[in-house]
Amino acid sequence: MTGIGLRAPRQTVSRRAIPYWTVRALLGWLVLAGVQCFLLVVRRGPFGAHSPAVLSVTLAVTIVLAIAHLLVMPRWRFRVHRWEITPTAVYTQSGWFDQEWRIAPISRIQTVDTERGPLEQLFGLAKVTVTTASAAGPLHIKVLDTQTAQRVAEDLAAAAGLGGGDAT
Amino acid sequence: MSQAANSVDLPPAPPPPDEPPWHRLNPLVLIIHPLRELIRYIPVLVGLFFFGRSGDTQQWISLTVVVALVLRGVLHWATARYRITGEQVELRSGVVFRKARTVPRDRLRTVDITAEWHHRLVGLCALKIGTGQRDKGLILDGVTRSTAERLRTELLRRPSAERPRTPASAVTSPAEEVLASMDRRWVRFAPFTFSGVAVVGALAGAAYQIARELHVDPVSLGPLRQLATWASDTSAVLVVPAGVLALLVIVTAASVLGYVLSYWNFLVTREGSGTLHIRHGLLTTRSVSIEESRLRGVQIKEALPLRLVGGGRCAAVVTGLRTGRGDERGGGLLLPAAPLGKAHEVAARVLRETNDPTTAGLRRHPKAAARRRVIRALGWALLLVVASWLGGLVDAVPSWLPGATLVLLPLSVLVGLDRYRSLGHTLAGGYLVSRHGSLTRHTVALRGDGIIGWRLHASFFQRRAGLMTVVATTAAGRGGCHVTDMAAAEAVPLVGAAMPGLVEQFVEPTAQR
Repeated sequence: MTGIGLRAPRQTVSRRAIPYWTVRALLGWLVLAGVQCFLLVVRRGPFGAHSPAVLSVTLAVTIVLAIAHLLVMPRWRFRVHRWEITPTAVYTQSGWFDQEWRIAPISRIQTVDTERGPLEQLFGLAKVTVTTASAAGPLHIKVLDTQTAQRVAEDLAAAAGLGGGDAT
Repeated sequence: MSQAANSVDLPPAPPPPDEPPWHRLNPLVLIIHPLRELIRYIPVLVGLFFFGRSGDTQQWISLTVVVALVLRGVLHWATARYRITGEQVELRSGVVFRKARTVPRDRLRTVDITAEWHHRLVGLCALKIGTGQRDKGLILDGVTRSTAERLRTELLRRPSAERPRTPASAVTSPAEEVLASMDRRWVRFAPFTFSGVAVVGALAGAAYQIARELHVDPVSLGPLRQLATWASDTSAVLVVPAGVLALLVIVTAASVLGYVLSYWNFLVTREGSGTLHIRHGLLTTRSVSIEESRLRGVQIKEALPLRLVGGGRCAAVVTGLRTGRGDERGGGLLLPAAPLGKAHEVAARVLRETNDPTTAGLRRHPKAAARRRVIRALGWALLLVVASWLGGLVDAVPSWLPGATLVLLPLSVLVGLDRYRSLGHTLAGGYLVSRHGSLTRHTVALRGDGIIGWRLHASFFQRRAGLMTVVATTAAGRGGCHVTDMAAAEAVPLVGAAMPGLVEQFVEPTAQR
């Protein structure tokens, strides 16, 4: 259900996406909270020996926000992130708070890449990027399990018949 | 400007088809490139030799940079070789780092011939071959004008089957058809462009740079010092209007000068082979050739002051040329500031349409979009107000500034409302037309067959307001035609109408129209 007359794409992403997103977001929050803890405990930096009370308030707020974000975001995102490939088009749905739908005709595909970052490798995930000639229009099918990503990339490359024409 | 160099370094006429020979760049670049670098760094050199501040490391660093740049120019000439085969254009250069750049001829989108003042001293120019992808082009800096013209014709004459879509009549008559030419009375529109601001800014920056290199404090110079004393002695009531007036005069003069230098002999023609040829410039001359089959649409741009006096500019939306900020440099300009009617006329002629699609009546966007535009504009203004107020608290800004920034609040509401008034879109005669912007209003017409995909974006707040931003992606320009904040319910029908047979398969069965 997208509420705009489009149905959601048929395929969901890998279940492992939820722990993956949680860990990725957690790393960011840890940096933010870590800096504040450092300033609070070590009593150095911009505030010298007198860490203002406001710092403990911001730290508390940071922790509350982090917990809410870590609980809500990955699950919400998992429900939104979907993809589908038909004989004529690639269709993706992504985002959580802000959502985006991208559609590209198979005939306009220029390249199909798979990508695996270090954290993604840890979870056995991969990202497929489908580019067209437009600077604004790459489609990303994120957090697929590696085998699916491989298969999707191969199928797409074959379907697009990469080679003929320049797809502009 | 000399034509004497035309006889130098003309590569031999049609190369044998089996193994085309390699050509070198014209040796005259060995004179003009060091000259250009020397002139650019005159302040440094003057400071170095006449003021004798040899201990100043910064000046020595600058001098080393000059020497390195000159050396690089010499090495580039000594090693650069280019050739054009049936399939590709090749350029090799470099000693330590050998570079070989190859552009397949069927990927070639534009040919851009630029002659800056130093080129024109010796009758040379730089020829740039664009492929549509950023940084994938190839530049031959230092060929004679006649060579450049010959290469241009040769490169744009497509060898094989992929003929541009031209009616039979246009193919049989190879004559050039003039689509737009400069009317000198249009210079009256020059003060209403923002171009002067940039010019004055750049000049002030350059002057400051020179002063710094020479270790001169500008305020200590005679007339400037008098001006500064006058300004500090007189009340702000007099100084501020006087300053604004002076700035207006300077900016106007700069705008007119810039307009004349850039566009005095502006000319757009269509050549028989299906090529758009844009030429302009008094001091730096520019000639851009765009294959017509790469044209995806047009864009009308009206800066706010220009809009108030009924003027506009017209630019081409072409695969391989950027649009938006700085597109005059990118070469897609079809008409500089001119009467709006003329801009529409040129757009229609370039597109081979009877009417410019950007004049089509646009479908207004929902009222909820107005709220979003106003909130955004207000947000920026509020940010400035708060920043200046905080600055005032710690005495970092003059005391009157926080009060003065309050003026921004009503202004930003007006801008926001005008941005909403601009919003609109339609599908007309096979074009997707979309308008947005207030300080510069853009109306883009993108040909339906130039659309290569869709992006539908809805933020949380857009979803609540029932709005959606639709982007038709294209290989041309910045990559997309944005339809901002349209009614979400109309988005999918728009996509379906613009590109039949794509989105239908994803439409909810219950919502099928």
